[in-house]
Amino acid sequence: MPLLRFIATRISISLVTMLIVAVVIYFATAILPGDVASRLLGRSPDPTALAILQKRLGLDVPLVFRFLKWLGHVLIGDPGVSLISGQPVAEIVGRTLWNSSLLALLALLIYLPIAVIPAAIQAIYADRKTDHAISGAALGIMSLPDFLLGTFLLLAFAAWWPIFPPRSTIDETSGALDVLRALVLPAVTIALVMGTYATRYLRENLIEVLNSDYVRMARLNGIRESTVLWRHAFPNALVPTLNVTSLSLTYLFGGVVVVEKVFAFPGFGNLLVSSLMQLDVPVIQATVLVAAAIYVAGNLVADLLTVMVNPRLRYQ
Amino acid sequence: MTQEVQVAAHVASPVLHGGTRWRRLPISLWIGGLIVVAHLLVAILGPFLAPYAPGQMGAGIPLSGASWAHPFGLDQLGRDVFSRVLHGAWLVLVLSLSGTILGFLLGGIIGLISGYLGGRFDLVVMRIFEALISIPVLFSALLIIALVGAKASGTLVLIVIVIGFVYAPRVGRIARGAALEISALQYVLAAKLRGDSAWRIALREILPNATGTLLVEFATRAAYAPVLVASLGFLGFGIRPPTPEWGLIISENRDLIFISPATIIGPGFMLASLVIGINLLTEGISRILGRTVTQRN
Repeated sequence: MPLLRFIATRISISLVTMLIVAVVIYFATAILPGDVASRLLGRSPDPTALAILQKRLGLDVPLVFRFLKWLGHVLIGDPGVSLISGQPVAEIVGRTLWNSSLLALLALLIYLPIAVIPAAIQAIYADRKTDHAISGAALGIMSLPDFLLGTFLLLAFAAWWPIFPPRSTIDETSGALDVLRALVLPAVTIALVMGTYATRYLRENLIEVLNSDYVRMARLNGIRESTVLWRHAFPNALVPTLNVTSLSLTYLFGGVVVVEKVFAFPGFGNLLVSSLMQLDVPVIQATVLVAAAIYVAGNLVADLLTVMVNPRLRYQ
Repeated sequence: MTQEVQVAAHVASPVLHGGTRWRRLPISLWIGGLIVVAHLLVAILGPFLAPYAPGQMGAGIPLSGASWAHPFGLDQLGRDVFSRVLHGAWLVLVLSLSGTILGFLLGGIIGLISGYLGGRFDLVVMRIFEALISIPVLFSALLIIALVGAKASGTLVLIVIVIGFVYAPRVGRIARGAALEISALQYVLAAKLRGDSAWRIALREILPNATGTLLVEFATRAAYAPVLVASLGFLGFGIRPPTPEWGLIISENRDLIFISPATIIGPGFMLASLVIGINLLTEGISRILGRTVTQRN
């Protein structure tokens, strides 16, 4: 039963982490400069109007009770309504999350070959010129801040060679092909950023595995080199890369703020930026909470997968 | 436990044992060092070398593109972008470095002590660190800036505090992991039996032995800090205009990218080369220390 116990422990740790995140977000957004009501009413609000608005927003109750009430609502999937548009927060967050998921899906599809193929080539030609050249190129791309990479892609494929739209705005009315065209450039940007990291990691693991005894055994048995690489070495090198990929998954929803801004993509990161600019507190709270939840869930899944693949870790 | 930066110790490299000879240093250290030194020179000498003042309008025809007189072109107001980039070079370096140092002071001290003490204190600290880390870097940074409000936003000190605060729990986790490993060693036990205080043990016994891990972590974080500063400027949450901060310059000229691409390529090249330099330096340092750096987040 060590596996079940491990899973139970990891899940409860994740829940505790999420509870702390909820406390931090709620109190940070509630306590800091003035309450929401006075912020909405401007610099020197009329006291009666302030009192009415505070009551309407439920700000006349002590903070701790407000937090508990909010937490209860969040748990049943209803984090309130936007202070700016009056729309349900769940709806707003859901819509942008859907857009971001489309982007993430396409980015992941592009990411896989970007991560795997160079790493395999590097491992085969380890410490030779090809290896160093790819390493150098990867380091260059990795060092390029994502908003620059996006801007340069925009310059190349929307201005000089205009095959993609300069703004990736999509809504319910856009057709599937338009959506796809709008997604390509931001997805390639994200995939390049994620892929260069994974490549470095995968290369090291592949080289290590290719030098191991069982791979030598397979070679001595006369198995074709390509079979050795893909069937024997690759699956084992992939395991440690799981963690990197799970972290990249959180980058997809938390780190792409800037990429979404470059392409004017109506995604999750853009929602945070716009809600922060308007101080739309319920939306801010929900967005940050969801981003944290994605990170925690991603880590949880990666840990569980790692342990399932490598049973020895269960006993630690 | 997943770790953002996994520092795997390999066989110690022969460089340290065989006596450090200059030509045996890794080539990445050389190239990275040269690039970083070049950036330092630009930061110090930039304001004196720049042909125009950073805010001087009408230095040429606005948006007239790159030329010998204006290598990075001119922006909408006719300001020479090359001069603005030179004037702003010190900002990126100073902000990134002070922010990273602040993060290391906060996170390093708490992490080392937490790892050494262990027990309930460590448990609580680690859960808080985990919670803070689970909020993505840019989200936390933007959140802090928005919450501080209009009065303090856009100041240099705020940006430094933001970087420090965002880095602290991430550094803290690494420092704690290192401290945990070192605490199990005999000489820490010896110090404990000697009756040294926790502070003294953390600073005199554990810190010196965690230096390698922390150094690699520092370099990795320092390489990301300029990106963070520029990203904040780019999103309009960083230093206020008309300060010639690189991210801000790029964001100001973003709408003109199809008319005058030099105004973005110029500052973009400077920013990217700085990050490449620090990354190469990091790789060199970690190679000397016999460690591999694999992930930042």
